[in-house]
Amino acid sequence: MIDAHHGWNHSYKPQFLGLTVGVIMTFAAYRIVMYHHLAGFTLIATIFILALIQALLQFVFFLHLGLESKPQWGMLTFLFTALVLIIIVGGSLWIMNNMNYNLMPPM
Amino acid sequence: MKASPTTAHETYPDTHHDAYSKTIFGFWIYLMGDLIFFGALFATYTVLNESTFGGPTARELFNLPYTLIQSLVLLFASFMAGLGGTAAHRKEKGRTLLFFSSTFVLGSLFLGMEINEFARLIAAGNRWDQSAFLSSYFTVVATLGVHVIFGLLWVPILLIPVLLEKSLSHVSIRRLTCLKMFWQFVNIIWIFIFSLVYLLGVG
Repeated sequence: MIDAHHGWNHSYKPQFLGLTVGVIMTFAAYRIVMYHHLAGFTLIATIFILALIQALLQFVFFLHLGLESKPQWGMLTFLFTALVLIIIVGGSLWIMNNMNYNLMPPM
Repeated sequence: MKASPTTAHETYPDTHHDAYSKTIFGFWIYLMGDLIFFGALFATYTVLNESTFGGPTARELFNLPYTLIQSLVLLFASFMAGLGGTAAHRKEKGRTLLFFSSTFVLGSLFLGMEINEFARLIAAGNRWDQSAFLSSYFTVVATLGVHVIFGLLWVPILLIPVLLEKSLSHVSIRRLTCLKMFWQFVNIIWIFIFSLVYLLGVG
């Protein structure tokens, strides 16, 4: 984002890198699902981790995360956002799964 | 505007205290807030996606090849916005206009494909009021669609002043950088919609 030093704002190269990563990883995830390479929990974990890696790489190549000069406020706010997301999303899924388990026992 | 030492400083900062850095950082904070908003929507969808109320499931409704094309269209739209951002920083006016116009065209195509898919679902009777699954699905995807609409409106609003300028001013460069960040952010959200909603819905 705030990038005076590394010159990524002036280079077309990171954009092409980001595009290549995006195309390859989108097709990889698509192929895994379409050709039933995996199933069950392995499938969910793989697709989720692929999405996470692709998003992080696009944050770096496209939004220049972690490439700013010190103090790295962008990185700090990003990490805080990640923490909030883990609490909200992870916490919601945990609680709702517990409720499903406790309120609707298998007949 | 001619590039004087002052504008050069505003455009290529080496501190966090100039207008450019402050605006970009402020916009970044907005994007982080939006990320949390989408995170809450994803949590809702994940909790509700099996509550189909006897209606069709994700597996029966989604058409993966169609969504794959949609993903690639949006990826190229955000790629073009990225190229446009670089061209703006290089003060290449022609390329800036060309790249951001491509973003507009590809973004419109993406939006058209999304509206078409909604129309297909609704025509088959799978409206958002049919089940908790469909409510949460329409909420997540339409919220992204609204982002795309604002991203599309934003393009001509920024490009018309650029068209009238002799060469790109530092104000335009700053605005176009925010626009580019917005499109790239929308694409990052779409990665999760494609993976978690569509791929895992079918897989």
